[in-house]
Amino acid sequence: MTEKEKLKKVGDILLNNAMYIIIAVAVVYIAIMRPTFIKLPSIVNILSLTAAKLPIALGIGGCIVLTGTDISAGRVVGLTACISASLLTTVFKIFPGMTSAAPLPLVLLLVIGVGALVGFVNGFSVAKFKLHPFIVTLSTQLIVYGIILMYLMRGVNNGQTLSGLADNYRSFITGTLFSIGGVAVPKYVLYSIILTIIMWIIWNKTTFGKNMFAVGSNEEAANVSGVNVVRTIIMVFMLAGMMYGITGFLDGARIASANANTGLNYECDAIAACVIGGVSFVGGIGRISGIVVGVLLLQIIFTGLTFLAVDANMLYIIKGLIILIACAIDMRKYLVRK
Amino acid sequence: MAGQNKQNLEQNNSAPQRQLRGLYSKVNISVKSLNIIIIVLAVALVVCMAIGVSNAGFTVQFDSLGGTTVESQKHMYGELIMAPVPPTREGYLFDGWYLDQSTTRPWNLENDVVTESMTLYAGWRLQ
Repeated sequence: MTEKEKLKKVGDILLNNAMYIIIAVAVVYIAIMRPTFIKLPSIVNILSLTAAKLPIALGIGGCIVLTGTDISAGRVVGLTACISASLLTTVFKIFPGMTSAAPLPLVLLLVIGVGALVGFVNGFSVAKFKLHPFIVTLSTQLIVYGIILMYLMRGVNNGQTLSGLADNYRSFITGTLFSIGGVAVPKYVLYSIILTIIMWIIWNKTTFGKNMFAVGSNEEAANVSGVNVVRTIIMVFMLAGMMYGITGFLDGARIASANANTGLNYECDAIAACVIGGVSFVGGIGRISGIVVGVLLLQIIFTGLTFLAVDANMLYIIKGLIILIACAIDMRKYLVRK
Repeated sequence: MAGQNKQNLEQNNSAPQRQLRGLYSKVNISVKSLNIIIIVLAVALVVCMAIGVSNAGFTVQFDSLGGTTVESQKHMYGELIMAPVPPTREGYLFDGWYLDQSTTRPWNLENDVVTESMTLYAGWRLQ
């Protein structure tokens, strides 16, 4: 191997892993500047936040495998969080007629249904009318936002933040699962792990999962080989919608309130996490483990920057740059692959 | 191995190479330009992080909701807020700072620490 080829190989490795290198260097810097960053409470905090943001990324991952995306995700999370917070509460401002909180499983099913419904609208428009997912989900994003605002104006609430949640709802989600060294791990971490396992099985062990990858890598070929493309696309978007519904259900209790801004920009984080985790926009490429790593890496870097007291305004710019770099690396990997 | 490398080199040097598909199907870009883009963006990212770190600090604003003005404060992550001079408002008594305008989530000055830029709202009750 000549000197030039060796140099090229090193360059390849450096460029393909540019994102991981930057994150690693940043983490080392943060750990030196703020030693509490690598203490147990902070690590548990990072893992819990990763768990909280995982379901939405698992949902969007499927849409990206289909070479699409879903930018309505955050608003669906907001809507389902508002629905959960309005029904599982002690002060019934949205439904003044109610006297006691609705049963938990019923509300969970309801928000999953609402998510699936929005997902169905997205999937149906993409599959049947061949509309680009960006356009479809942009419109559903706006429609859902309008519904959230109208929902919050119902009853005597007048658009205010919903809080005063029922105790059984809060403890079901933020209650202590177990404690390590006096630091409580919340229960939603367990739910997130269960969802990840379910999604792993769906992606890897079911016909639907295999069809999803087939449609993502080549729609015509999948169609010719007998895959029901329309149904596969609709189901992927519906599954994603269900994940947003669950995220909303978890988020309402996790943040202990819900308002019109709940879930804002969640889709950006989720898309960035997926692309960092190797779910490629070229379609048909991606793994559940990659998504988990992507969400975790993004959470580590943003928690770290918060520890350094970097302003939220700058975090938006950093997030945007991370998405751009991840996409450029994604393209590069595809181009140089043998 | 050598043959593969040669093939790689050829691919990298001659644009257009392998056609991108999916969301990038309309993109026509060479690996060389992608390399430049990645490096430039990575530098921009590091610069942004550096600027963010050098301007570190979260701004805590106080909205007295009709009372006398209270000056904003700058804090690092995990710091307590120094109790500001309580605002006054005619006909009302000040009863502490809250995270929301509807004064449902009170801010405890002794225990709650700053984790982000935020606005605290004054709570008022009728005198």
